[in-house]
Amino acid sequence: MCVGLSAKVVSVEDGTAVIDAGGAKREVSAELLDELEPGDYVMVHAGVAIAKITDSDDDEAGEVMGLI
Amino acid sequence: MNTAAENAKDIITSYKGRKLRIMEVCGTHTHEIFRQGIRNILPPDVELISGPGCPVCVTPVGYIDEAVMLALEKGAVVCTFGDLIRVPGSEMPLAGARSKGGDIRPVYSPLDAVEIAEREPDKEVVFLAVGFETTTPSACIAVKTAMKKGIKNFSILTANKTMPNAYRALMHSADAFLYPGHVNAITGTGVCKEMLSLGVSGVIAGFTASELLTALAVIIKKSETGEPFFENCYPRVVKDEGSPAALRLMDEFLEPVDTEWRGLGIIEKSGVKLRDKYSDFDARVKFSLPEIKGRSNPACRCGDVLQGKCKPTDCKVFGKGCTPLHPIGACMVSDEGACSAYYQYALND
Amino acid sequence: MDKNITLAHGAGGRQTNELIESVFKAHFANDTLTADDAAILDFGEVKLAFSTDGFIVSPYEFPGGNIGKLSICGTVNDLACMGAKPEYLTCAFVIEEGFPVDKLEEIAAAMEKTAAEVGVKFAAGDTKVAGKGQVDKIFITTTGVGRVDERAKTSGAFAKPGDAVIVSGDIGRHGCTILLARDEYGISADVTSDCAPLWHNVEAMLAASEDIHVIRDATRGGVGTVLYEIAGQSNVGIEIESEKVPVADEVKGVCGMLGLDPLYLACEGRLVIIVPQEDAVKVRDALRSCRYSKNAEIIGTVTESDPGKVILKTAIGAKTLLPQPRGELLPRIC
Repeated sequence: MCVGLSAKVVSVEDGTAVIDAGGAKREVSAELLDELEPGDYVMVHAGVAIAKITDSDDDEAGEVMGLI
Repeated sequence: MNTAAENAKDIITSYKGRKLRIMEVCGTHTHEIFRQGIRNILPPDVELISGPGCPVCVTPVGYIDEAVMLALEKGAVVCTFGDLIRVPGSEMPLAGARSKGGDIRPVYSPLDAVEIAEREPDKEVVFLAVGFETTTPSACIAVKTAMKKGIKNFSILTANKTMPNAYRALMHSADAFLYPGHVNAITGTGVCKEMLSLGVSGVIAGFTASELLTALAVIIKKSETGEPFFENCYPRVVKDEGSPAALRLMDEFLEPVDTEWRGLGIIEKSGVKLRDKYSDFDARVKFSLPEIKGRSNPACRCGDVLQGKCKPTDCKVFGKGCTPLHPIGACMVSDEGACSAYYQYALND
Repeated sequence: MDKNITLAHGAGGRQTNELIESVFKAHFANDTLTADDAAILDFGEVKLAFSTDGFIVSPYEFPGGNIGKLSICGTVNDLACMGAKPEYLTCAFVIEEGFPVDKLEEIAAAMEKTAAEVGVKFAAGDTKVAGKGQVDKIFITTTGVGRVDERAKTSGAFAKPGDAVIVSGDIGRHGCTILLARDEYGISADVTSDCAPLWHNVEAMLAASEDIHVIRDATRGGVGTVLYEIAGQSNVGIEIESEKVPVADEVKGVCGMLGLDPLYLACEGRLVIIVPQEDAVKVRDALRSCRYSKNAEIIGTVTESDPGKVILKTAIGAKTLLPQPRGELLPRIC
């Protein structure tokens, strides 16, 4: 239901962030995230940065497999 | 693929034991699981059921009729996520309204619809607000932005849905839920823990191949203990508290209402509408839309499919009268719908 | 069949085929009418390839080209895919009242330059001006004839199990460029159209192998649509290793945002080639030595199993079906 895209924050101004995914750039709303800084990674959905994230899923896989 | 994901894949492919029925609630999960070929490596004892988490699929026919009416009779510019354009209404889909001259525009974000309204002040612009907790904040931000800029020719037609009561309605449909990671990014883990207290198992999963494989491996291993369980398998995105800012925003703008899910019927307090103080932005109020009761095709078993009661291939019209090109039911329209995914990706069925 | 024409009927997918079958073939069918990119007209001592194509791209200028360049590339490539050296072109313009002459001049200059690259000559033309609003700025139709190289024996129906599948470069750039140029989704990226005339690339391949089975140019329906067409025409399966399909990072990024598959984005300068396995590396290397196909890649094989289908081998080593092409590309978001 919710296609998300992880992207890097390029700049932030007035509640709007420019994000970059592999060179594709777009303005998105940064309204939901305080203290967003260039270089942060975010999950973007429908033009809104919905969460600050860690970019790579590699470490996460190890962490999750540690649960079992 | 990383080693942990390789291990996860081994755990999945070598599983033999009690039959496990896992419901992937989220349409994007359904789509990714097919696209990555994960369904084709599952052992016979693991069954994936595609749940009701495709907003396009659960949006009732009457909603499409409302949107068509806005475009053709009210002359509004109807902005929508592309997903909705082909969904059949009682008379026609939005694509049909467009070929009759309706101004239907696919957008990436509800905020783009606000910009269109700002650029074209002579037109009334309506955004079709569908989606779950992940998507709903964007509609709220759009309304907030329109208010701030004093844009009066913008409104939204809400059909947003919320998951908690849907889980409760479906709690006996599967042995474990694969919870929709991006919904939980907003709502946090509370709902899942509540389900655990009711004895319902599940894990929150991400969307990459590695995330899906590890989440499925965790379900398999935890199920072997026989105890109900919950784990967050998407920690790089989902925090326990979710997004307090998004939750506050939704609470400010929206109030819960009973709502119809296509195929499932009315589920109590599982939808939202704009609070009365924001009714200037509510398309139903603005255009005095009559209540429309949509007619869906009776042969279609979308409802049973969405509840995991039957597989898409069990439906009589699947692949015959109902194909992605000429869909009868909503599950065949959206790329994330179970029927469409089965039709498009299944190798041997 | 729908009662009215929809945009999907023009998207090059299954609806387009439905329309061709139910309307055009019903009236036009004869022995020469072709499902390939160009028809072969056999006059005994000389074999000609013959093709026509209409261009209505909006916007008419985009990074990497304009409608004029496109109108030459499209027809040149259709001829080249039959192994024919493009010789003569005709072009017909439908221009909207009010269209700026300097823009028309730019379009004509691009056509001249592109035609010169492959040595094709303009033989005739036509100009019509339509009233304001009757067309969208400018439409161009080009028709071309070419002489079929005697080493070329290609057809969409000639793919054989065991053959290798090659693409001549990274895919989806034209579709992505147009999507961005329309600026409907607020996305920007440094992507230019792959629009290019490919006769010299085909010539290089023919010199490298006289046993090329299929050459097709992937246009509006993208590489995925062409693969399905070949699988259908040759009654074979095609298995693609998804990791090997070259896609520029920017195109991946745009597709990621909009939930699109690069395999279904349009190309205007990309060939799909099917050759016997033993010639695959030679042909790929011949392509890599040419302008416009430096990123050529072997991406899969033709199989006896799954006739008519295109199978993807995914990053996790599992197999899945490539969804059938389905007309208008719509972003998938929620």
